Amino acid sequence: MKKYDLITPEGTKDLLFDECIIRQAAEEKIHRIFKSRGYSELLTPDIEFYDVFNHRSEYFPQERLLKLTDNKGRLLVLRPDNTIPIARIVATRLKDSRLPLRLYYNQSVFNNEPSLKGRSTQTLQTGIELIGSSSKMAELEVISAAIEVLRTNMADSFSLEIGDSRFFKELVNKLDTSDDNKELIREYIEAKNYPALNDILDTIGKNEVTHALKRLPRLFGGEEVFEKASRLFSDSSLDSILAELKELYNQVSQLMGEGALTVDLGMVNRTDYYTGVIIKGYLEGYGSEVLSGGRYDKLINDFGYDVPAIGFAVNVDAVTKIEMKHGAGTERNVDAVVFAEKGFEMQGIKKAEELRKNGQTVETSLFDTIEETREYCHENGISKIITVDEKEAE
Amino acid sequence: MSKPLRIALTKGRLEKDTVGLLEKAGFDCSAVRDKGRKLILPIQNANMEVVLAKANDVITYVEHGVCDMGVVGKDTIIEMSGKFFELVDLGFGRCKFALAVKKGTDFYAGYGVKTIATKYPNVARTFFESKGMDVDIVKIEGSVELAPLLELSNGIVDIVETGTTLKENGLEVIEDIVPISARLIVNTVSLKLRQKEIEDLIKTIEENL
Repeated sequence: MKKYDLITPEGTKDLLFDECIIRQAAEEKIHRIFKSRGYSELLTPDIEFYDVFNHRSEYFPQERLLKLTDNKGRLLVLRPDNTIPIARIVATRLKDSRLPLRLYYNQSVFNNEPSLKGRSTQTLQTGIELIGSSSKMAELEVISAAIEVLRTNMADSFSLEIGDSRFFKELVNKLDTSDDNKELIREYIEAKNYPALNDILDTIGKNEVTHALKRLPRLFGGEEVFEKASRLFSDSSLDSILAELKELYNQVSQLMGEGALTVDLGMVNRTDYYTGVIIKGYLEGYGSEVLSGGRYDKLINDFGYDVPAIGFAVNVDAVTKIEMKHGAGTERNVDAVVFAEKGFEMQGIKKAEELRKNGQTVETSLFDTIEETREYCHENGISKIITVDEKEAE
Repeated sequence: MSKPLRIALTKGRLEKDTVGLLEKAGFDCSAVRDKGRKLILPIQNANMEVVLAKANDVITYVEHGVCDMGVVGKDTIIEMSGKFFELVDLGFGRCKFALAVKKGTDFYAGYGVKTIATKYPNVARTFFESKGMDVDIVKIEGSVELAPLLELSNGIVDIVETGTTLKENGLEVIEDIVPISARLIVNTVSLKLRQKEIEDLIKTIEENL
């Protein structure tokens, strides 16, 4: 039988040296932002019961989940998402806590990706969840944190996109058609597949709603979008959604600085537990969004606790990739090497410890001779060698 | 000046049709027409460059954002799927996916599980899944028409343009699955970050379809 003992599974990789340092630096930068805003970290297990993710199967199609079983034969999954386990905690151990809760996490999500597409099975995400407020202020708080995160890295430019998941839902529910058709319409709008969208809407009929839905994927860009949208279709609920989003847009645009702000009313994600405003963040040089999130006021209720929430996740691997492209600096900084003559090993160890106490990075030489040690230091750019011999030991 | 807008074209017939379309829209494609062995080719009178690739690769490049846009057949899009925006039906490269069997045989007769030969296993699987029908799917790389003639399969799922090849081999289409034509696809981030450029280009293209 072929043994797979020298490679990692597809979609995963080992990170070495620079990759770790740069990734860690990227994480730290983001976590400083979260902490400075009063968010506290929590860690959830990498494996969870399948049932945790199965309240609504449309969020996590089973073929995307990596599964295993426990010793009772129960189905487990490697967490495909960070928000759901946090919703579980909020609805159980944090149920009696005073609201709002400001939480952040930094852990991998696992998704079965189609093979040979260059996508990752394991992706490190960090993000925040603000639990217990349906206020406008909560939205501004989370969006301003998102902007700070996007601004803090080395990409040439960043942009933030906002939308509202209710806009599409309100509109499509005015259609007299099957749920399957509604899902198809959602898919076509998400893919901005104008030809297919037009075809399916033509079979449903020609009216104000189908006309508006046909235009929906084109409703993205700057402030002009709001005017276009209001001309397209008008009723009290859609108008108020648009008015709220426009107000948010104007407020957020004051926070953007050099970044670009856009709005997309055709943002209709598949794993859609979002119930209101949705955000996506883009960085120049990465082919998909690096940040995504939104308001999810009904999700925690799946676990029996009815509380509003909003948050976002950042793809740390994507940020790391961009930082590496921009040559984020890493140096292996060893200040000195301690070389102990034969018989003076303990003195050597102690000497190194002493130097480290003063804040230096010190290696011990593992070579037998001083010549080999010199060669090693030369190759590795270490300028100082401390020899411990009879003289030094005294 | 910003980075050129990079468009991936499917080599072969779609490439010729797309170049024709771009030229009609006023873009100087002389470098593409006179390409030699080069694979990345500039459009002289615009901030654009053309990349020539196989159909599946067009999707891969656009999905990863190393190309901003691409022109690829709907057949490849259905078979590969993926995350990108599919903005325009370019109208050329028209054909269809169809189910074909040996002339005169009744494909649906009997309760035995049928075998289907195809170059497009995902298309075939989705088609029969939607019918709630179990089939064995065999992937064939070359002339799929051979499989039913050699009695490897009961039918084939393949692209049908004129039907001449089928007819010459004693096969006939019994069901159309989905029509196909060339599509303009765009990377999800490119469309947002370079909206104006891309929308202007699409408008020019649509005016010349």
